[in-house]
Amino acid sequence: MNRLLLLSIAVFLPAHAFAGVDASALYNTGTDALRRGDTGLAVTQLLAAHRIDPRARDVRTNLAIARARADEQGGGDHGSPRLPSSLALSSTESWNVAGGLAAVGALLLLLAAYRPRPRGLSLFGGTVFAAGMLFGLALLLHAREEARHPEAVVVAPMLDVLPAPDERPVSPYLLAAGEEARLGKARGDLVQVRVGGNPIGWARRSGLWRVDEAPRYTASSGSK
Amino acid sequence: MTGKRLALLGILAATFAGASPSGKLTIEARLQPDRVAPGEPATLTVQVAFQGLNLPDVPPPVIPGVQVERAGTAQNLSILNGAVTRTSTTVYRLIPRGEGVIPIPPISIAVGKDRAQSAPLTLTASNAAPRSQPSVSGNLPPGAAPSGRPEIFVKAVVDRSRAYWNQQVTYRLRLYSRVDVLGDVDWKPPSANGFWTESLGPPRQGRVRVNGVEYAVMEWPSALFPTRTGTLTVGPARIRCRVARVIQPPDPWSMLAIPDVVPEDVQLDTDPLTIAVDPLPSNAPAGFAGAVGDFHLVFHVDGLTVRAGEPVAARATIAGTGNVPSIRDPEIHARGASREYEVGTSTRLERTNDKLSGERERDMAFVSDQPGALEILPVKFVWFDPEAGRYRWQNSDPVQVNVVPDSTGGAAAAPLGAGMAVAANRMRSGPSGTLSLEPTALSRILFGSSALLLGAAVLAGRARRRRDRDPRWARRNALLPLLAKDLAAAESLAKTKEPARAAAVAEEALRKAAGLRYDAEIGGFARPERERALLARGAGEAETRELESLFGALDAIAYAPPETRRADAVQAIAAARKTMERYLRELGG
Repeated sequence: MNRLLLLSIAVFLPAHAFAGVDASALYNTGTDALRRGDTGLAVTQLLAAHRIDPRARDVRTNLAIARARADEQGGGDHGSPRLPSSLALSSTESWNVAGGLAAVGALLLLLAAYRPRPRGLSLFGGTVFAAGMLFGLALLLHAREEARHPEAVVVAPMLDVLPAPDERPVSPYLLAAGEEARLGKARGDLVQVRVGGNPIGWARRSGLWRVDEAPRYTASSGSK
Repeated sequence: MTGKRLALLGILAATFAGASPSGKLTIEARLQPDRVAPGEPATLTVQVAFQGLNLPDVPPPVIPGVQVERAGTAQNLSILNGAVTRTSTTVYRLIPRGEGVIPIPPISIAVGKDRAQSAPLTLTASNAAPRSQPSVSGNLPPGAAPSGRPEIFVKAVVDRSRAYWNQQVTYRLRLYSRVDVLGDVDWKPPSANGFWTESLGPPRQGRVRVNGVEYAVMEWPSALFPTRTGTLTVGPARIRCRVARVIQPPDPWSMLAIPDVVPEDVQLDTDPLTIAVDPLPSNAPAGFAGAVGDFHLVFHVDGLTVRAGEPVAARATIAGTGNVPSIRDPEIHARGASREYEVGTSTRLERTNDKLSGERERDMAFVSDQPGALEILPVKFVWFDPEAGRYRWQNSDPVQVNVVPDSTGGAAAAPLGAGMAVAANRMRSGPSGTLSLEPTALSRILFGSSALLLGAAVLAGRARRRRDRDPRWARRNALLPLLAKDLAAAESLAKTKEPARAAAVAEEALRKAAGLRYDAEIGGFARPERERALLARGAGEAETRELESLFGALDAIAYAPPETRRADAVQAIAAARKTMERYLRELGG
């Protein structure tokens, strides 16, 4: 029984309990930036905090407010902020749950193989295993997308997104501070900006901060 | 003004300015003038405003019978109380090719779900309209006139044969004709390697006397800006047209002799021109970035007091005559700004009096997060004046902007939306974690383990299914409940004073077990038939005898004396168990 308890704890205990970035430090930096009106920094830090501590109400509240402000500055609708889900899992938790589901499912399948009438147990074990593997596949695709096109936030008050000199000239996009995008290829000081899975142009690299590099930024840093 | 007139004005305004249903996107098209002579330009100004960041493209209007040229664009951005509004102004030159009333279709734009459309306009092209452009003089410089009096010839002339690097040289391609030119004239510009070329407008027409004969002249002007020094050559230009040649009859005194008019295709080439290009003097002041011409700088800041966190915009405008598109934007910097960003640039070009002129604007915005002073540093612009042969420069004054605290005092919680306020800071640290989305070590172990477990499950399942298909294994499995249930029940009955019934149950179980062991159906058989069946299925004679002896012992329990019946039953059932357990072993148990 004790072994079973230890196994459960090991499966579901978040790995970030052992090492990593302090979510409270990110949250406090983002909250200070939000009060100062530095929406870009606020969204970056709070998004990073949300990755680690996604169910914390204070993180979700301030992130929703920061996103609403970014939306307002970008000329969007002035609706009420939408809180992120309170049931969200962090990346670490998601991976552990997916791995746990797959392992439990496989164990049930193994037990079913030794039973004379294994139909019900096989079905249940197969469903649990498939759920774990599908969840893991979705997480893997998300991780690959993050590796290829990291999530970033506009920190410049206004960021011109222009076509490259060798590309067809189109009307430039303007992104406001706090708007979320993904980064593509880099050329010198420019980086490709992607929104909704499509590249929309190139912008100064210093105008966007990557969420996974949020701990590098402090409240006193800015963009030039 | 009466109410009816006001309503009429409102309707007219709505006619010429289109807005989306939400009112966030508007487009307005203006035509000035709306009545021109063929070949004369009219200006179509399209102004778009959007309460947001992304301005749509304004597609150039497609108008049959009209040459459409983009004359310039400008963009503007304003931030008022946090709301962003962007405007763009695009100017087109519309040059009708012939007379007529030309409808200009509405211009449609869209940003997301917002759609707007300008009002349709009408351009009237009429020879009765005044011509805004002076007629071309067409006079040739001394020595450039052709010998004789040719019916048609071409000439290319430049206003100067020596120029500084990037100084405008006006190139004019002229077609002189004293015969009628039929249809359009096709012209191919000269090869001008080493020059930046800008058109100076549509072709012009006029009349001039050359060698005492009046010619109709058509002229195509261009501005050439040398991009290299030394002796540069402007290659020949080519003109193709169709002329009406008049063939005189052989007998001019004949009353019936009417001259023939024969169309003839003509191709004419100009002579190449040589221009000596001098380099600029070497004593260029710091900040010189290649502007050559006659310019001036205007610097404007949109406010001298601003709240912390709000932007202050600064605009530098360079206007004048010269190669405006090649001017590098001046640097605008500020001291004390937390952030600075470029709002936009715009270029406006004009082509008047055969000079390329215009202005170039650069807008920057500076944001200071802290109250105090924000100083916008002087802006310097340096250019070379080719007429004076020297460099000139202009400096703006530094501008002090007072940054006052923002309305919240800089740190107050800001309620937003449906009563939500910024949550307080945390006093404690944690939880800690990683921002990477890659799989964790534990999840890798779990997935690896699940793969191994799945493999084991597959192998075990396969082995079980293979075993289930084996008949001996099936018989063995059928034997198990006989031992576990039937014989156990018999043993229980034997102990509870029902030895006869226990013996019957045990005999039936033993019969079934023997049938399973030897894969023979012996239920209901008499003894001789049963012996034959067992022998036929490979049971030995000793085995058959022993089995029959066991059946006999179990049969005899019912007739045994009451005092030994129970003990006999227990003994016989134990012997039956022994035999059945042996069968189980022999079947692979």
